[in-house]
Amino acid sequence: MTVLLATILKVVVIFGALISAAGISTLAERRVSAWIQHRIGPNRVGPFGVLQPLADGIKFIFKEEFVPEGANRWLFILAPALSAAAALMSVAVIPFGGLITEIDGTPILMSIADLDIGALWVVAIGGLGIYGVILGGWASNSKYSLFGGLRATAQMISYELSMILCILAVVAMSDTLNLREIVNLQDSADSRCFGFLPGWNIFYQPLAFVLFVICTFAETNRHPFDFAECESELVGGFHTEYSSMKFALFFIGEYCAMIVMSCMTVTLFLGGFSVPYWSEAPFLIGLASFLLKVTFFMFLFLWVRWSLPRFRYDQLMNLGWKVFLPLALVNILLTGLAVSL
Amino acid sequence: MVIIKRKQLTWMEKAYLPEVIRGLRITLGKMFQKPSTRQYPEDPLITTEVTRGQPRLVVNEDSTIRCVSCGLCEIACPAYAITIDGQETDRMIEREPEKFEIDFLRCILCGFCEEACPKEAIMMSDELELADTSRQGLIYGLDKLKRPVSALKKRIAYINKINDRWRTSSST
Amino acid sequence: MTKIILNGREIEADPTKPLIAACEGNGAAVPHYCYHAGLTPVGSCRICQVEVKEGERPGRVVVACRTPVSEGMVVNTESPAAHETRRECLEFLLKDHPLDCPICDKAGECTLQDVTYNEGQSEGLTKEPRDNFEKRKSLGDKIVLDQERCILCSRCVRFFDEITGKSQLAIVGLGSRSRIETFADRPLVGNYQGNITDICPVGALTLKSFRFKARVWNMTKKSSTCGECSRGCSVSVEVLRKGEVKRIRPRFNEDINKWWMCDTGRFALDGANPTNRVPALVRGYSGLEAADSDDAVAMARAAHAAVDKHVLIASPWVTVEEGEGLKALASSLNTEALFLSPAANDLKDDLLHTGDPCPNRRGLEELGFVGKSAEEAMELLAQAESATLFGERIAELIGLDNLKSLPSTVRTFVFDGSSGAGLLEAPALQAVVGIANWVERPGTWVNIDGERGKISAARTAPSGIRQPSSVIADLLHTSEVAR
Repeated sequence: MTVLLATILKVVVIFGALISAAGISTLAERRVSAWIQHRIGPNRVGPFGVLQPLADGIKFIFKEEFVPEGANRWLFILAPALSAAAALMSVAVIPFGGLITEIDGTPILMSIADLDIGALWVVAIGGLGIYGVILGGWASNSKYSLFGGLRATAQMISYELSMILCILAVVAMSDTLNLREIVNLQDSADSRCFGFLPGWNIFYQPLAFVLFVICTFAETNRHPFDFAECESELVGGFHTEYSSMKFALFFIGEYCAMIVMSCMTVTLFLGGFSVPYWSEAPFLIGLASFLLKVTFFMFLFLWVRWSLPRFRYDQLMNLGWKVFLPLALVNILLTGLAVSL
Repeated sequence: MVIIKRKQLTWMEKAYLPEVIRGLRITLGKMFQKPSTRQYPEDPLITTEVTRGQPRLVVNEDSTIRCVSCGLCEIACPAYAITIDGQETDRMIEREPEKFEIDFLRCILCGFCEEACPKEAIMMSDELELADTSRQGLIYGLDKLKRPVSALKKRIAYINKINDRWRTSSST
Repeated sequence: MTKIILNGREIEADPTKPLIAACEGNGAAVPHYCYHAGLTPVGSCRICQVEVKEGERPGRVVVACRTPVSEGMVVNTESPAAHETRRECLEFLLKDHPLDCPICDKAGECTLQDVTYNEGQSEGLTKEPRDNFEKRKSLGDKIVLDQERCILCSRCVRFFDEITGKSQLAIVGLGSRSRIETFADRPLVGNYQGNITDICPVGALTLKSFRFKARVWNMTKKSSTCGECSRGCSVSVEVLRKGEVKRIRPRFNEDINKWWMCDTGRFALDGANPTNRVPALVRGYSGLEAADSDDAVAMARAAHAAVDKHVLIASPWVTVEEGEGLKALASSLNTEALFLSPAANDLKDDLLHTGDPCPNRRGLEELGFVGKSAEEAMELLAQAESATLFGERIAELIGLDNLKSLPSTVRTFVFDGSSGAGLLEAPALQAVVGIANWVERPGTWVNIDGERGKISAARTAPSGIRQPSSVIADLLHTSEVAR
């Protein structure tokens, strides 16, 4: 009973934190872009503008709900929900921290579900998020939205392959799909790289790390791969016709996906919640370490967005199929060779 | 016809990632520089004597208005923003404005009135802020336009400097 | 006619007039201050210099206003010598003339300003300070004299000497101390003082009523006819920013008033700028109430149809065109067309004023209207069942007290465009309709000698105030045709 309560509490806390984090990310996006562009950014609502996401939310709620004529009404409404739900659900298996406490001999771990197929879950559920984009693009009955949806599909297929191959390399090394075990393996003293570096997979799989990080950009439709939106060509891409809270849901979905992908990068390659050289680190220190790493990758998302121009569509495809896929294949081949030896 | 040859990229450039990192380094550097924007209401605008703000009427030290309501600014105004009605006064200067209205909804802050004025009586002040809730409120009368000469001293000196330059060049 | 050569062109000149008139009449205007076509030339300002060659003698520069034309004379108004002499004269004229054009009311219509601008002589060579005279010398209750601005052209002096015949001004003092003054500082008298401000070439003589009120370039001028007496002087009505009439000035008309007009007409600004005007008042439950003028006219039409004994009295300010309409209305009402003809006033003089305050008396009489005095009109009105009083000032001319004394059985309709139309109150009044006055409508008046004078709309009537012609058309049931 108590365990169930604890689980419910974890669900509430983690989902709440995730959604708040998505809100804060929107503020961070605006502040970071302002700093990069020699501006100051929103600083009027609350101290340093921290209440800006709240104000935005209120504004979104009061905007007109609009369904364009000729749109497939149900799919049109379903799409943003799907997009946000997929991103929220995939966070369930991320191990944010170690052991919180033990109740009646049952360890309470800082993750909603400690699945044995955690990595697969993230890829599978996270991949569902693309349905929101595609459905939204198609159901809008607008050429720009449709183009956005189509591009998102093509991009997702191209980059999901490379991304999964990169995860596969880590899984092959760790011999498990359980994300917590992957973290624990990176944390163990005998996995130290060259005997002194922390045993993080980034040192064993640098190529996979680079490919994975770039693929997460493509997966989350972020710059420089944001072909689903593509303001300069497609007005707003898949969400051209969306307004009000439906639009906000797409936004939440996008930022949650970014957070989940950052968590994945940290878990797979940067030792997750582990602290280098301190295996017995308390729960809170581990959680802080995890959040710090995630924050860096979130910042990288923003930083890249406001630095790089968007790819051309053919360049995107070339990069995906002619560069990333071969490199990922070579990488997994070498990994397999190394593991089997 | 000009044939533009595309620049051959080096191997490092083709690899893309080093260039990406170079770009990221630039934007990161920008993040720590001082923003060039200004927090307007708290951080007021910097004005100099060259600033061409809203026109204002100069009031002498003895609190008499300089304007003689000659109507030259009225006729010079390209936006028809100025309306003047004169009246007689007992001062040495026989004429003064009874009504002097500038419609700031029309005014384009061009400064022609200042240029036309033979008495240095209308001057472009450094006042730039202009807001009201009604159209009528933006038609400024004498009460809102009068400014003591001390407030406009710098502008008057500047305009005199400009005019001196013009005078010498035309007399040669 | 005498043949002369003007600027290389042979022209015919009137030998009874000075050379300057020939120049001006043939497109070679010469600047002049003291010369005025209606006054004796004196040649005091010396600005009208032209170069004249006669026979074999070398050319010489003379003042055109004091030179008679003679057969075969060769005149050059633009020769370098003429310009040089003019410029030198101008410098003398400007020696004591203050540089206060921004203040001066004459600026914009000042010939001294224009000539100075054209000759490019904006700065004098002398460093001496300007002489100071009295700047605000009141000459009676109408005129102010600025002796500093005066260039001693003596036009005003000659005007009183020659036109009114009663000398009132003179140049007193000698040399540089000369100035214009009245005899023994007596105020100016007479009904023609205002003319000296028109003929003053600079801003020395100004009207107290117009002084510093408006800039001349802000006013629109419209040719019209004065309505203060039956002389019908040609005037120019000047309206400031399409609103208030600021000035009424005489317009040259050889047959009627030449260059002049009386002060009665000149200062009739109150009549031109009426106050308290309303589109219409109609009798409601609680007395007269503001209404639309169409409703008021409809009421009048209904009353015309309802009763039999009508009286129609037009104002003497009604134009010939409106008179025709009123005549038709009178015949449709089966009554005689009357117009109000007030008694002559005591303003009659030998020059212009006729003493008869009916600008269109002759025009209305020619149409068949019969003039009635206010007393006769009241007698007729008292017996009528419906009364139609039409034209501006009609209420004032009949007398407000007379109107109030009318029994309420007389259904009275007043169509009046003058002051206080909105304040009328009399038991007999059924409706008051505001109409355009003489500066707001076009039309024709016929003066005492049968000369036709046009009046024209110098400004548009205030919103809701209708043109009398359209009101008459409505009263005639022919509004559709008229519109």
